[in-house]
Amino acid sequence: MSGTKRQPGEIAFSILLVLFSVTAFWQAFQISGFRGLSEPGVFPMLATAAMLLSSMVVLREAIGKMPSIQSPEITFFKDIASFRLLVMFGLITAYVAAMPLVGFLISSAAFLFASIWFLWRKGPLASALLTAVSLTVVYLIFRILFQVVLPGGTLVKGFV
Amino acid sequence: METLANLSISWVDPWLMFLTAAGTLAGIYVGAIPGLSVTMATSILISFTFKWPVNDALALIAGVFIGGVYGGSRTAILLNIPGAPSAIATAFDGYPLAKRGEAGEAIGLTTVMSVFGGFIGILALALFAPIISNFAIQFNSRDYLLLGLIGILLVGTLSGESFAKGAFAGAVGVLIGMVGLDPMTAEGRFTYGSITLMGGIPYVAAMIGFFGVAEALVQLRNMDLPAIKQKIDRITPRFSDVRKYFWLAMRASGIGTIIGALPGTGGDIAALLAYDDAKRTTRNPDVPFGEGAKEGLVAPEAANNAAVGGSFIPMLTLGIPGDAVTAVIIGALFIHGLKPGPLLLIETPHLFWFTVGNLALANIFLLIFGLTGIRVFTKIVECPKAVLIPLIIVLSAVGTYAIQNNPSHVYWMLGFGVVGYFLKIYGFQVGPIILGVILGPMMDSNYRRAMIGARGDVSVFLWDFVSHPISLVLSVAFILMLLSQTPLWKPLTGWLRRAEN
Repeated sequence: MSGTKRQPGEIAFSILLVLFSVTAFWQAFQISGFRGLSEPGVFPMLATAAMLLSSMVVLREAIGKMPSIQSPEITFFKDIASFRLLVMFGLITAYVAAMPLVGFLISSAAFLFASIWFLWRKGPLASALLTAVSLTVVYLIFRILFQVVLPGGTLVKGFV
Repeated sequence: METLANLSISWVDPWLMFLTAAGTLAGIYVGAIPGLSVTMATSILISFTFKWPVNDALALIAGVFIGGVYGGSRTAILLNIPGAPSAIATAFDGYPLAKRGEAGEAIGLTTVMSVFGGFIGILALALFAPIISNFAIQFNSRDYLLLGLIGILLVGTLSGESFAKGAFAGAVGVLIGMVGLDPMTAEGRFTYGSITLMGGIPYVAAMIGFFGVAEALVQLRNMDLPAIKQKIDRITPRFSDVRKYFWLAMRASGIGTIIGALPGTGGDIAALLAYDDAKRTTRNPDVPFGEGAKEGLVAPEAANNAAVGGSFIPMLTLGIPGDAVTAVIIGALFIHGLKPGPLLLIETPHLFWFTVGNLALANIFLLIFGLTGIRVFTKIVECPKAVLIPLIIVLSAVGTYAIQNNPSHVYWMLGFGVVGYFLKIYGFQVGPIILGVILGPMMDSNYRRAMIGARGDVSVFLWDFVSHPISLVLSVAFILMLLSQTPLWKPLTGWLRRAEN
């Protein structure tokens, strides 16, 4: 997806990957070192070595690319870590944290309502309607067709 | 005959027939809507169907697979947006056809050709899988190791912009698969004293994170693309067309089946290779390729559906995924207590024949659904991304949480979703990661068994690869594929060509 032009943040990301691979290799080495060839640590070391090699090649490729025209810091936050993405990430985190506490129905309803309103920008009424419709369909399909017990919460014993 | 009985299970049981039909229909939409993917749907589905009997779960998933591989062609033709990677080649000539007002005919032709290709793939599955299974029992630990390496290599090389990125993704997947207790010595690997980690990284959470959440986040960037409305009146393939392209479809289906059967490659690569082949072998197309040549529709669509049957072959006979979706399906089989591999056909032949019969049934439904319901289709496909993306997140979260009611799984899913988002943005493919997760542990134990068999002697270990015929063939294939990615390849092939002359 990044094509022949370097994306904002691509070099930093590639460096992160190299650092991660080094750490992983070191950790893999800790498993059984060079004790023997059929030890449990051998394959992890091979895999992490492959990670290290390939991430270094990726870094070299990234450095060799033409940078995109605008200033990288601005485009990173405009394009890749955009405001929209950060808000959605915040909403998803809140959703995921809330689900064990208040159960599936309440947390999903809140999440759907908030995110549809934020993304679709057609007002709270449209968002509430869509939330209600889709949640009902989802609930029916899951409960009746898949027979999945939709999780309740520890704080709120839902009627699921 | 028992085989016949097993073949027809889903044909006579109304519930199974319904599930297959529902799966196929859902698959067509999932494949058609850009932003939804077949791997996403199947990942979420395996968690929801884990309590079901295995036949029911497989019927639904197989339907989604077949429908999804075809469904991408719809939006490829109508909007020049392939709904699934397997439809990338379809857009090349499908969209120009639509622009000339022949969208209906194009859709009709792709439907018929997809069904045709599908049947060829299923036939290959029925004929060859038992043979391969018998043959595969002779496979050694070395051979499985090589097959796994070839699989990861193939996925890394053929899809994606950079071999290094594909190799990295595959290696990361292997690493993820290594976390937990070593099956041979019960030593903890990457566990850091945590009981949770000793059980390994939750596989379904990783899948849903990489294929579901990550894709939804990526789609946030594409939200503002305007929807183009298209008008279609009737979908009628002309019989003369079907007859004219029969042999081309056969060729393409053959290519599709073989590519699908290779570990790691699936419908998307099959479609591109078939398109390329059609372009090179069609002497005088009525319309040039790229401007609405019907051959450019027939070849990729026959190939990608044939690849479905093909990819089931290594999955059911060797336990090695033929592509990303079959990797997910292997996970489903494990969840239901089955072990895909050469013994599957011996211990549970009813499952194999059921799958064959079920895929055939799904193919019939594809024909029915593919030629009807176009108005409903256009309505649903115009669903705004702003609504679709939150729904995907909800389905992903519930899918992950519902298996073990373990909140930490959802955190893993979110983590992998974010990592997957950045990987996708920077040009990495996430398919190799999942393949690595499945193949990694398999390759590890086979490697160690092979090394132990060679008594730890490296020279004996390496010699074994060339002294046994199966291992020799696989080793040569692996080395050739590896070499073709390095700068050595072009001068090598140039030298060979000069030597021939």
